[in-house]
Amino acid sequence: MAISGWFVLLVLAGAVPLVITGDGAVLAWWLLGALALGLVDLALAGSPRRLDVQRDVPGRVRLGESAAATLLITNRGRRTVRGIARDAWPPSAGATPTRHRVTVPAGERRSYSTVLTPFRRGERRASAVTVRSFGPLRLWARQATLLAPASLLVLPPFNSRKHLPSRLARLRELDGATSVMVRGQGTEFDSLRDYVRGDDVRSIDWRATARRNDPTSPSGRRLVVRTWRPERDRRVVIVIDSGRTSAARIDDEPRIDTAFESALLLAALASGAGDRVDVVIFDRRVRGRVQGATGAELLSRMVSTMAPVEPELIDMDWSAVPGLVRSVTAHHALVVLATTADAPGASRGLLSVLPQLTRKHTVLVSSVTDATVLDATRSRTDRDEVYRAAAAERALLDQARVAAAVRQLGADVVTGAPADLPPALADRYIALKAAGRL
Amino acid sequence: MSTEVVTPRLRSTAKRAAFWVVGAVVVVTIAVITLATTGGAQDRAPLDPQNAAPAGAMAVAEVLRQQGVEVIATSSLTETRDAIDSPSTTTLFLFDPGLYLTDEQLEDAVGLADTVIVAEPDFGQLQAIAPGVAQAGVVDGPLEADCELGAVERAGVVSGESQGYRVIDDDAAALTCLGSGDGVYSLVGLEDDGRQLFVLGATAPLTNELAIADGNAAFALGLLGSRETLVWYLPSFADVESTESLAELTPGWVTPLVVLLALVFVAAAIWRGRRLGPLVVEALPVVVRSNETMLGRARLYEKSSARLRALDALRVGTVQRLAALCGLPSTATVDDVVGAVSSLTGAQPHEVRRVLVDADPGSDRELVELSDALLTLERGVADRLRP
Repeated sequence: MAISGWFVLLVLAGAVPLVITGDGAVLAWWLLGALALGLVDLALAGSPRRLDVQRDVPGRVRLGESAAATLLITNRGRRTVRGIARDAWPPSAGATPTRHRVTVPAGERRSYSTVLTPFRRGERRASAVTVRSFGPLRLWARQATLLAPASLLVLPPFNSRKHLPSRLARLRELDGATSVMVRGQGTEFDSLRDYVRGDDVRSIDWRATARRNDPTSPSGRRLVVRTWRPERDRRVVIVIDSGRTSAARIDDEPRIDTAFESALLLAALASGAGDRVDVVIFDRRVRGRVQGATGAELLSRMVSTMAPVEPELIDMDWSAVPGLVRSVTAHHALVVLATTADAPGASRGLLSVLPQLTRKHTVLVSSVTDATVLDATRSRTDRDEVYRAAAAERALLDQARVAAAVRQLGADVVTGAPADLPPALADRYIALKAAGRL
Repeated sequence: MSTEVVTPRLRSTAKRAAFWVVGAVVVVTIAVITLATTGGAQDRAPLDPQNAAPAGAMAVAEVLRQQGVEVIATSSLTETRDAIDSPSTTTLFLFDPGLYLTDEQLEDAVGLADTVIVAEPDFGQLQAIAPGVAQAGVVDGPLEADCELGAVERAGVVSGESQGYRVIDDDAAALTCLGSGDGVYSLVGLEDDGRQLFVLGATAPLTNELAIADGNAAFALGLLGSRETLVWYLPSFADVESTESLAELTPGWVTPLVVLLALVFVAAAIWRGRRLGPLVVEALPVVVRSNETMLGRARLYEKSSARLRALDALRVGTVQRLAALCGLPSTATVDDVVGAVSSLTGAQPHEVRRVLVDADPGSDRELVELSDALLTLERGVADRLRP
């Protein structure tokens, strides 16, 4: 049950006859009358308990985009329900409007649309729908909360997909599909074809040229070049650290979100290049795993797996990572560890297992760096800032030491600010592919 | 299929609340009955003849009654006037710490009996009834009997804290008792055509707590029981005169209007307070800023004044950058860097070495200066190398 502002005004209006007549009994009658009106109104209000509520929610939406959720209200009662319906979503679902003015005649159904613009990744569960049904006088209302479960999966935004076309173009350059030939040690011999102007003269195959006799050319000779294509069907294993350090925010973006962006870009690129990509999100247990998917299904499964994962406030169990990689593939693979490598103490676990991984695999450690640290070393106008600059220099030194240690153990390091890391990782992948180190 | 409703029905809410409602009704009923039978809390004033607390004077009043003195407790001037039949056989005891009486009322009261004892009058009260007597502060300790007043002589020693008074009008025929030296007395008797007025500072002997100590009982009984009747007048709120009550001034609809406004307030509170469904829980993510450790380390350096350590961190960064700028290998020593930098910029090697290695900052000011010197050095080398 609820009352409206009109009822409050009605009670307040009792002051007018009271002051005019100066008699307390008039007020008593007025109040009784208002109460009676309210009760009559309540009795005439349509029952919100006899409503059926259904939600029609799109299952998934990318972070930053909007989706329309539809609320269907069916009236099974005998009176028209007039009033307010509250479509309750968590604040981070960004629902507008949250309140609908509803009028559902008896035996009919109405639909109301709520636009959801979520501002945080993860699963958003809709709460109940509350309907407040006013009587014809709009004085008193009946109210009931109706369960209508629904959920919306908010996917990682994959903002770095804007880097994908240029990287795919670079891959095609590697591929021999275009006229520009790239020679590399590890690329596979593809075919022989006639020389055209612009080809690298180093790729001329003199033996094939000697064997070839072309009657159309005046000299009977035509140069033949070899073409290569990059290796295909290599394995890429991306291990994303969802432990304590991934919760830290840089530029108001948790490290794990940057890791997701990098992983998505790398996966899109690698699957475009014909490699097989497996993703594991891990801290002390496997939080998410995508294996054996290719093409469009890979990205779709990756975003669905990543969406609900939030960093846990526990330390990453690095000793389990080699076993994890072994469970994914028994062959040589490019293992990308998306983690944090900026303090010698915190990176001890990572450094201790790197030899096991580098013995068999090509290992790439991708770590987000904080641009504010570099800025802090440069501004030294007062005492506080000098101490801050000293601490920042110290932090940079630590980062350099960890990176050097990682390189010494045979792995490679990619670092960058949140916006730069995904393309940097993609470039490193292309470089490794061109060098045939996959 | 119908949608599940989570709001409980009125009937089930009432059923669940019934126990508590009944419990509350029972508790309130018991409280009302208890209050009605035992009466309100006893809140009696000090020196009240019906007050059995240590500060009360019930003991003295009761003993006086047993001795045949008629003790009448009054709380207003009208009552007091009615209680006094013959002024000559009556002692009036007046104690007004709450200053309820106006000067006129006080003069009236003093004129009601032939023997009047005014306990602990303050400055204003003394001005009204005995302008020749002045307050002289608090007197502590036992006071010796030192005058021919019977009550005091029999008592011998009177103990307890008392108010001292001084006779400032030299012409007045004043009887001064219980002196504590320097012209200060705790009992001053004034005689005015057959009527006696006592200004009593020593009220401690009258209290239940101290009545039995030393000669206090004899003093109290002798002073108060000298006549057949004792009127014990403690002025109260009833003495405050008022011409017209507030209720008579206001129109008849004001009280109902106040009630109405209260009801409107309650109705508005219900209107705004009724929530449209339960709150929705939001799972908030952890917010950890990544540069927290860096800032924490900076504050630690600052708090412990680790100037050299802070400067060394800055120096390592600078030396590395300088080495890279000068094209030295990563294995180059600091001396190599000093040599390369001084030859590039033309600065004295010992000066470059002081900034890069030797100087030990003794104060924060020196630290800031050295940090600036490092920046200047880096900028100088970079400028030299720029084509």
